[in-house]
Amino acid sequence: MSSNHRNRFNDKERRRDMEKEASELERDHVHSVYEKIAPYFNDARYKAWPKVQEFLLAQEPGSLIADIGCGNGKYLHINSKAFKLGSDYCFPLAESARNRGYEIMVCDSLCLPYRNECFDAVLSIAVIHHLSMKERRIRAIKEMARILRVGGQIMIYVWAMEQKRRKFEKQDIFVPWSPAPPPLILSNNSAHAVKESMKHRHRKQTLNNQHLRNTASTLEMHKKGRRTYFLGDKETLDDSFEKSLRLNFFSRSLDSVLDRSSGGNQQSQHELGIFHKYSIQLNELSTEQLFEQNKPENFMRHIFTLFPSYSQHPDDDAVRPDAESRSLRPCSSTFRSSNAELRSDTEHPHCMEAIHECSKLSLPDLVSHHKGVAVRKQPKPSSLLKQTDFYEHLNKTRKDRSLQSPDNEYDLCVQNGQEVVNPQGACLRYYHVFRKGELVELIEQHIPELHVVQAYFDHANWCVIAEKVKVWTI
Amino acid sequence: MKLLTHNLLTSHVKGVLRGYPLIIQANEVKVSNVDFNQSFVARMIPKLEWSALIQAADSLGHLSDLPQELISDYESNEDFLRKVHHVMLEVEVIEGTLKCPESGREFPIIRGIPNMLLHEEET
Repeated sequence: MSSNHRNRFNDKERRRDMEKEASELERDHVHSVYEKIAPYFNDARYKAWPKVQEFLLAQEPGSLIADIGCGNGKYLHINSKAFKLGSDYCFPLAESARNRGYEIMVCDSLCLPYRNECFDAVLSIAVIHHLSMKERRIRAIKEMARILRVGGQIMIYVWAMEQKRRKFEKQDIFVPWSPAPPPLILSNNSAHAVKESMKHRHRKQTLNNQHLRNTASTLEMHKKGRRTYFLGDKETLDDSFEKSLRLNFFSRSLDSVLDRSSGGNQQSQHELGIFHKYSIQLNELSTEQLFEQNKPENFMRHIFTLFPSYSQHPDDDAVRPDAESRSLRPCSSTFRSSNAELRSDTEHPHCMEAIHECSKLSLPDLVSHHKGVAVRKQPKPSSLLKQTDFYEHLNKTRKDRSLQSPDNEYDLCVQNGQEVVNPQGACLRYYHVFRKGELVELIEQHIPELHVVQAYFDHANWCVIAEKVKVWTI
Repeated sequence: MKLLTHNLLTSHVKGVLRGYPLIIQANEVKVSNVDFNQSFVARMIPKLEWSALIQAADSLGHLSDLPQELISDYESNEDFLRKVHHVMLEVEVIEGTLKCPESGREFPIIRGIPNMLLHEEET
């Protein structure tokens, strides 16, 4: 075999491995997350974004419209004169759309089960950003272009990296999901109990994590501001606190946080802050568990990434956003270089990043708030076992990794992705947030049959309307 | 799954060249009332694969006397359009399978929802 041949063979192999890892990542951090969180979707009060509505209403009577990744079908009620067909990978979401009377199927956006050119319009809201390789994002758009008739239009929304109230350090991130915050329904009594419990734990609190203290003093400052309540003994959580969270978990709709901005209730804000810290604690504990077991130097990066910038937090006077951005500087070179494909950046092998956010904004579908809470609420008998598996896997991949040449960043990214998973199985959703111009570029460079008609920013998303044109091939 | 939806569906199992139309094997069929909109149906007809619609309707016993060949002047033929309306929008498969005509791969329909997901080795 010539070296040329061999290279090509290796490329193919490598590509297949990457593809496999990408699909595993998406399975663990997109598909299974949606399966878990599907029951908590409630878009009853969700307002369709005006531009999406406008696009749908602009379709002629008798149009066939495909909504790819329709979730529970929040856009399917618009334009009663067209036939809308929704699809989603997640069966529970598809079923909830179906139960609301919509025509639905379950399929993969990378392989749409439709014949060529049969739709007059295609909608893709908040889907492409869940695909973890550029090739896969291109393939998904190509698939949608394939089913679109010539002259038909497609609308694509993807989450933007450039957002006013969320700051992303990287393009490939994990966003924790958890239910809406409880304060709005908490009785005064239970809220009081929570506060008392917190104070108590505050008195008991000690800072004893030597690893962290030795490794980064900025981080330590960071942590001092945050680690306050119940370091190391989460099993003794106050009962009423547990109950109130549970109550919240099962009784609040996810998008209820959309009301927060209009609510503006001081007490609620304060309580929200408390719950916020609670969720940070849960997360830190998980982080520490990981740390104790693995102790890799590079794990520090993840600890950085696992600390949130809760700049909006009313109680959060310990760490200001600017202080945090300084502490994050060690990673910021990755920020600049991460705009290419995941694997293309060999200089910084840590391109996956978990972020925290606590804003009432525009996750395209729902608003994630308190990481860790979901996990607390759904203790499964198998969780311990899973945790063991998790560590075994982690150790195994570490060993494997040391045998490989470290040039395949994608592998590392995916494994890092696993590292940042809360070992209890917290819902971390993977996103590839798009830079300004990236979506347009993707279409213009790779999908000649789509002609971009309009590109704009809307609700923290980069958006494109493109028309299918006839491409003449000789 | 309405028959209009079925008309759009195809099998993309790896190696399959002719995955259309899918063969319906229905265990439960529901017929519901949907408001008739003449111009909607008339606009929809040219987008349909007529023979696939006929074949599907026939296999479910809901052919409703529709002809094997599409008639030419259907826009003004209300009787005809009502029949098409019934077949493509009112007849629904609730439980059953869709079978790829070439590979024989079966896609389940559960509670009205076709599951068209493929296994990794099928893509």
